[in-house]
Amino acid sequence: MTSVRVRNLWKRFGQQVAVAGIDLDLPSGKFIGLVGPNGAGKTTTLSMVTGLLRPDQGSVEVVGHDVWRDPVEVKARIGVLPEGLRLFERLSGRELLGYSGRLRGLPGPEVDKRATQLLDVLDLAGAQHKLVVDYSTGMRKKIGLASALLHNPEVLFLDEPFEGVDPVSAQIIRGVLERYTASGATVVFSSHVMELVESLCDWVAVLAAGRIRAHGTLEEVRGSAPSLQRAFLELVGAQGRDTGSHLDWLGGGAAR
Amino acid sequence: MSGSASPPGLVPTVVRLKLSLLRNGLRQSGGRRAAYVASAVVTLLFAALQLLGLIALRGHDHAVSLVVLLAAVLGLGWAVMPLFFPSGDETLDPTRLVMLPLRPRPLVRALLAASLVGIGPLFTLLMLVGSVVSVAHGAAAWAVGVLAVALGLLVCVALARAVAAANIRLLTSRKGRDLAVLSGLVIAIGAQVVNFGAQRLGTSGLGQLDPAADVLRWLPPASAIGAVDSVSEGAYGVAAAQLAVSAGAVALLVRAWTRSLTRLMISPDGSTLQAAEPAARERRSSGLGRLLPGGRTGTVMERGLRYIWRDPKTKAAWVTSLAIGLIVPVLNALQGTGSIYFACFAAGMLGIQMYNQFGQDTSAFWMVAMTISSRRDAYVELRARALALLLITLPYATLVTVLTTAMLGDWSKLPEALGLSLALLGAMLATGAWTSARFPYSIPQEGYKNVAPGQAGLAWIAIFGGMVSAALLCAPVIAVTIWLHVTEGGDSWTWLLLPGGAVYGAAITLLGLRLAAPRTATRLPEILTAVSKG
Repeated sequence: MTSVRVRNLWKRFGQQVAVAGIDLDLPSGKFIGLVGPNGAGKTTTLSMVTGLLRPDQGSVEVVGHDVWRDPVEVKARIGVLPEGLRLFERLSGRELLGYSGRLRGLPGPEVDKRATQLLDVLDLAGAQHKLVVDYSTGMRKKIGLASALLHNPEVLFLDEPFEGVDPVSAQIIRGVLERYTASGATVVFSSHVMELVESLCDWVAVLAAGRIRAHGTLEEVRGSAPSLQRAFLELVGAQGRDTGSHLDWLGGGAAR
Repeated sequence: MSGSASPPGLVPTVVRLKLSLLRNGLRQSGGRRAAYVASAVVTLLFAALQLLGLIALRGHDHAVSLVVLLAAVLGLGWAVMPLFFPSGDETLDPTRLVMLPLRPRPLVRALLAASLVGIGPLFTLLMLVGSVVSVAHGAAAWAVGVLAVALGLLVCVALARAVAAANIRLLTSRKGRDLAVLSGLVIAIGAQVVNFGAQRLGTSGLGQLDPAADVLRWLPPASAIGAVDSVSEGAYGVAAAQLAVSAGAVALLVRAWTRSLTRLMISPDGSTLQAAEPAARERRSSGLGRLLPGGRTGTVMERGLRYIWRDPKTKAAWVTSLAIGLIVPVLNALQGTGSIYFACFAAGMLGIQMYNQFGQDTSAFWMVAMTISSRRDAYVELRARALALLLITLPYATLVTVLTTAMLGDWSKLPEALGLSLALLGAMLATGAWTSARFPYSIPQEGYKNVAPGQAGLAWIAIFGGMVSAALLCAPVIAVTIWLHVTEGGDSWTWLLLPGGAVYGAAITLLGLRLAAPRTATRLPEILTAVSKG
């Protein structure tokens, strides 16, 4: 079964082509990693898939509904944690969850009950009355994740959820996401940390220069390479780049 | 750079760093360069005019009072500036230099020298030179004048540095940045005070300043200028004392600055301290939520009202609107030139808050966009925002109108003034909702700017186009008002304008929201892109 179906997706910013014709079918009920170097078009792709950015061309279907023609069906079924966009930071953590849950039309008492549980599980209960503007990066990611999960979506899109997050918070986020996919939901997240993707995901798509270079289960994409990192470097053509030969002065005690 | 040669002096290095920072800042965008050049030209033109004025003042009886006051104001400006524009000078932030192997004493010398580079110091220099020219008589006075200019400038620069270093913890924290946003307000109020003072001076002459000047001439940096005047009058002892006071001030300021700089370089910075702080005090949840309607309407209203209080940008905009909306009609009524129709000003000023609704959300608008999936959602969202606004605006506009009427004693005109206010408010809400959807633009959260680079044209179209349309939309109510006044016996029917204006305002607001909602619903990604810049 397919949770997300992308066909011939394009986006240009002026001269630069950010996404150059992506076709992708993401299976449902999996932990899916979208990997690629910086500037590969991960954020642009996720923004277009979630309806936050209008594509120049192409179509996106999420759980069988077109994102642009049928937003009522799609928006209720997805949760999003974008990268580089703010939250309503002058609300406290609890107020933010209350706000986003009620905006989605959930009844107030239910929102408050879920918010309390999410704040507990994500270890934010102690900071729930602090303004989000005073949160650290890890706390922001966690409160963003809580707000994306609050309405129990079928598909969760997370853009760099582990970027700048300390190991303790990362482990908590991981635990929550693993429990969530175990129940049959789909998580799509982008990252450029291969070790993380390798340990979390069962399905991977490799993106470079706005195109899909490989996709499939982790084993298929890794192929004969010893690790995903190696396979990835080969796919994006960065293998064997000599890094050291010009830095002959570097190293070994003597200052200057 | 080769490592074997003796290290170059720190002073030229830091001065060069300052110049590169200035140059690179300009290189970032054409708009920024144009803005910088324009502001530099305006500042220098203003300085040149002031200089000419000061030179023309030479020989005037009360010239010394004016120039002493000018020097004091300059000093005050230098003391206050770093608190409001911390981002203006990156070399001002010593925490950026912490990791360099530098001792405080040479660093202070170098930073002080770097502070002398820029438009601000040049402006101050021109002012001080003009001041000396207007009061110096005789060779000795001119000689002291040269010294006075140097001392005055050093006091100003050292003052700014000392204040900035002492408050760096505040400046790098969120509270400090919030404070910076309110700077526009302080400047606006300061301008009003200056305006008021200038009017009083214009009517009663410069002699008014003498008592203040007698005190200020002993206060640095004005004391340096005071010394020049003392020499001109032959009071050499007084002059020496005033110069000593100025020089002492420089020494004290530099010492205070060195001390806080040393402390800064060996202690953790504001961000670390803040993170280490235990959980903030319980934020008590207001009973507001229970009073508002349920569903999207109440949720959106509650956030909107919270933001008016908590978000510095929104707060500054509201305080400005509330203050101007009250001041203009009431001051005009006080001066006897008022008309009751000025009370509509309050409605107009507050209606402006409906403009660029989504820009006020910043890129957090994505959270709203993710939950709007139909025209109905967009309509409820916009209506809730208008309702939150009305919750404050309606009582306030009514209060201002009643107050103005009471001051003018013209109670018979109250209904029509209120009716006009309500019609205008409705028109502003309608055009505000529509331009919010059609011409959204970003409001940068850092600093004092209200428009992101490249979107100024958009903002002008939205605000001025909207205001003109609002005025046009009010035309029917205005026409009826005039008609009733010119028709014989019409005056007895002017009370009809109150219900008429209210109904017209409400109807036109609903119409505006109805027209804006489908545009909002179909343009969500475009709006998000527009409000996410800066």
